Amino acid sequence: MEIEFQNVGKKYESGQEALAQVSFHLQQGEMAFLTGHSGAGKSTLLKLMMMIERQSSGRIIVDGTDLLAMGKSLIPLHRRRIGVVFQNHQLLFDRSVFDNVALPLQVTGADSAQIGKRVRAALDKVGLLGKEKYNPMALSGGEQQRVGIARAVVNKPQLLLADEPTGNLDPKLSAEIMNLFQEFNHVGTTVLVASHDLALIARMRHRVLTLNQGRIVNDGGFN
Amino acid sequence: MYKRSSSVNQKGATRQNVTLKNSKKTRIKANVTSSFVMSLFFRQHREIFLKSLSRLLVSPLSSFMTLMVIAVALSLPGGLYVMLKNVQSVTSQWEQQSIISLYLFAELEDTEALALSHELSARSDVESVSYVSKEEGLRSFEQVSGYEHILSSLPENPLPIVLKVTPTQGVSLSSLDVLERQRVALEALNAVEYAELDAQWLQRLASFLNFGRQFVYALSLLLIVAVFLIVGNTIRSAVESRRDEITVMKMIGATDGYIRRPFLYMGLWFGILGGSIAILFIIAVSYWVGSSAADLIDLYHSNFELVFLSFKEFFMCLLVSSAIGVIGSWIAVNQHIAAIDLQ
Repeated sequence: MEIEFQNVGKKYESGQEALAQVSFHLQQGEMAFLTGHSGAGKSTLLKLMMMIERQSSGRIIVDGTDLLAMGKSLIPLHRRRIGVVFQNHQLLFDRSVFDNVALPLQVTGADSAQIGKRVRAALDKVGLLGKEKYNPMALSGGEQQRVGIARAVVNKPQLLLADEPTGNLDPKLSAEIMNLFQEFNHVGTTVLVASHDLALIARMRHRVLTLNQGRIVNDGGFN
Repeated sequence: MYKRSSSVNQKGATRQNVTLKNSKKTRIKANVTSSFVMSLFFRQHREIFLKSLSRLLVSPLSSFMTLMVIAVALSLPGGLYVMLKNVQSVTSQWEQQSIISLYLFAELEDTEALALSHELSARSDVESVSYVSKEEGLRSFEQVSGYEHILSSLPENPLPIVLKVTPTQGVSLSSLDVLERQRVALEALNAVEYAELDAQWLQRLASFLNFGRQFVYALSLLLIVAVFLIVGNTIRSAVESRRDEITVMKMIGATDGYIRRPFLYMGLWFGILGGSIAILFIIAVSYWVGSSAADLIDLYHSNFELVFLSFKEFFMCLLVSSAIGVIGSWIAVNQHIAAIDLQ
């Protein structure tokens, strides 16, 4: 998926200016990090991409389509092209790991044979194939985050977004998670990871967008 | 690690080729896809139909309470309806000879009155006509009223000639309209000053039954509104307890229709089960009351039989209650799903 932000601004009704004059271009198959202090606008930027929020000014173009021109009824279809990993992973504890990961496929109406195959493939990729019957509550923090990743990638999204995916994990686990994102990027998925773990980002050697008070203050490779 | 995913991709690619090859046979392809979509549609609905039932069983006590409230609220108008039906059926059996009294104009001659009497008794809708002359009227009036002295002091007999017409049609609740039309027609005759149908008690009963019917309708309306509110409130708390799930579903691209569906089925289940229990209530109460009513009927040596709800009425009851369930949850779900914001 190819994403272009053109002078995008977001002002909340409270008057708070979350983003201002944000412009960047994420190529198809690119991987980038989004960094900055908390409150710099990272989450707002991700929400605009997912159409949870709408920008106040500027244009967001996804694969040639202006998101402002996209009607409300198309929002679900837009979101199906995007896999999202949350810091607090947003897993549902009333069902098994398998059912959590199956959710994005169930929503599209896939049949159960196909769901089984793809859920197991996704769990295999994150190394949790043996734990599909567990309740996510019984898993460690790192494992829960990997279930979240499996759910994000299970329907082969064109864009993978992650909001502080390593926020609660120790450095070793964080590195594993980042490597996973890199592997998905290698098979052609566009990846954007919001993180303030600068040391880890530095080791990954990808493009870094730095936000400060809603503005992009740095866009380039990390050195 | 990627072998699996690439093999899946290849399969996807072959499937695309196949569709491409078949694209010439568009009609067949269209049929295949539409039947695929239909089977998908039915499969999803069947799954959710059963899943939503199992959701009711997750909190059996509160579901049971809700069902009972719905059932009681529905069985009240249903029971009143059965009662009304019985009262109507018992009263429709009451039939007796009726009389339409024609008060003729005072200046009319006896011969003219007699001629009219013969003419009327020849009609097919008239059984017989009895002629009450002014003198006969005076005599019977004296006997009944006890006003002999006042009447005898009058210079002349003030009473008109009366023709007592017995219609072929007996009077009952169902024939009341026919007889009323006949009375109006007789009153329109030149010689007749005033015609009176002797069925006042039946007219009172008819308007009383009419009042009863209106009362049942008004009460039913109120109770149906109550069921709407109960279903709405139950669905609202069900949506609330699934807030996390709905948030995640919205995030991963579930349509509002997909999110709404299990709650609509939940409403449908409340409607079907609540309606069924209401029917059981009505049957139970009917038999309970019916046995004591049968004793009463025996005392009067009546050949009246109690009527219960017909199969068609049971079906209507279920239909109405399921419709209330679905519509009630539709309203609640639309309000509350929209209120769940992704933040």
